[in-house]
Amino acid sequence: MNVQELLSAFDLFRDPLLAGAIAGLALGLLGIFIVLRRMVFLSAALAQSAGLGVAAAFWVEIVAGFHVSPVLGAGLLTVATGMILFVDTERLKVTREALLALVYIGAGALAVIAGSRIAQEAHDIHGILFGTGVLVRPSDLQALAAGAAVTLLLALLFWRGLVFTSFDSESARVQGLPVRLLQGMLFGLIILMDAVATRALGMLPVFAFSTLPAVGALGITRMLPLAALLAALFGAVAGFGGYLAAFFWDLPVGAAQTRVAAAFAVLGLTIRSLR
Amino acid sequence: MESSVLTAESLTFGYAGKALLPALDIKIRDGEFWAVIGRNGSGKTTLFRTLLGLQSPVGGRVTHGARWRPAYIPQRAGLDPIVPLRAIEVVSLGEDRDWSFLRFSGKPRRMRALACLREAGAEELYDRQFHELSEGQKQRVMLARMLAGRATVAFLDEPTAAMDSVAERESMELIDRLRHEHGIAVVMVSHFLGVARDVADRVLFLDRELQSVIAGTPAEVFESPVFRRRYGDGVDR
Repeated sequence: MNVQELLSAFDLFRDPLLAGAIAGLALGLLGIFIVLRRMVFLSAALAQSAGLGVAAAFWVEIVAGFHVSPVLGAGLLTVATGMILFVDTERLKVTREALLALVYIGAGALAVIAGSRIAQEAHDIHGILFGTGVLVRPSDLQALAAGAAVTLLLALLFWRGLVFTSFDSESARVQGLPVRLLQGMLFGLIILMDAVATRALGMLPVFAFSTLPAVGALGITRMLPLAALLAALFGAVAGFGGYLAAFFWDLPVGAAQTRVAAAFAVLGLTIRSLR
Repeated sequence: MESSVLTAESLTFGYAGKALLPALDIKIRDGEFWAVIGRNGSGKTTLFRTLLGLQSPVGGRVTHGARWRPAYIPQRAGLDPIVPLRAIEVVSLGEDRDWSFLRFSGKPRRMRALACLREAGAEELYDRQFHELSEGQKQRVMLARMLAGRATVAFLDEPTAAMDSVAERESMELIDRLRHEHGIAVVMVSHFLGVARDVADRVLFLDRELQSVIAGTPAEVFESPVFRRRYGDGVDR
């Protein structure tokens, strides 16, 4: 594949390129909070649940005969997972990590089982799990763009509140900040983006975008606003550049996007270790 | 007459509905310095959290006065070291209260934070990463944050716990100076009885083992039989 081929069929590739950039931008920004609040595994579990939700939507359509939107399936499963993960673990006398492990492994196994029962949709399921989808439907792109717009707007508007609650949540509560609401909003945005981005791009790049650009940015700078900006930029470049890399070198899309995101993380960690 | 910023009436506190200690009644007035003392596990931090509204009382009630505008300086463990914030950004957080974080505030906010750092003797630290500062420097930054929030009452949870004796003395002098200059009531948890002896107007002594709560002037508390049973005559540190 070469540039001329890309340009000649650009109408075909424009949407997936945009989808990668938009998902990378919004998830990269959210990734700053995911990494700083040590929610990386939570993000993985949510992405896994979103994948299961999409697979389940296909399965319901085949078995029951009525159409369920894969985005709806992803949304329902991520919300359900979120509710499970935010139960009072002290009351249940289990650690949150144990719950996370259960959800992550359970959702992954169920998604594989669902995939194995849907032979005719196997390619779609594979695309959802590993991000091998080359094309993006207009409706998925629209959902992604709307989710990203909401994410960027709220993250900017609530930036200081989110930073305060991340650094010192008890003082934030003492000073009357709506800490629970801020935490719930952040969690809601992660669920929203996981749901819409998993349907469009697949689980693997979604998890990569929500962690690796932030790791890279935080390695390069210790100024939080700049780190957030860089993480969003790295995410967008990973989404867009990863797709181009997949096109030119005939690689699986999700894996190529993940590799680019990982390169930013390695760059950041290298710079940090050299200081 | 000095008004009270906080009143606790028949207050019991603890976990899962079980009170750690007998009920206590205290009234914290404007500009007063309260030292909360007691052994490890005596319930000092739990009391703090209850007074601040971070957890519900087991019984009784806590009421806040009209001038209630609290600042909380937690033990260092309460601040997440992986969040990369510079000293000036930490100070600026003190300004945010309720929903004020939605308001845009650029340069003036930074200037106010710088002025607070200067007042706390930490102006030169403004650009340093907070988690890279020494414990004494962190304390100055946190006190600057308290000033930025125009607090009327400051709750300090063992602020000098990780300091050497020189840094501890300097920190205590700074706290005392700032509270006098700004009329801030201070409630401080401390392991060190010297704080209660040298600086405090009032002392709250907690002892879980002896199921005792004593509030009063330092002399009243130090002369009480329960305190003497626990510490004898030694109030050197």
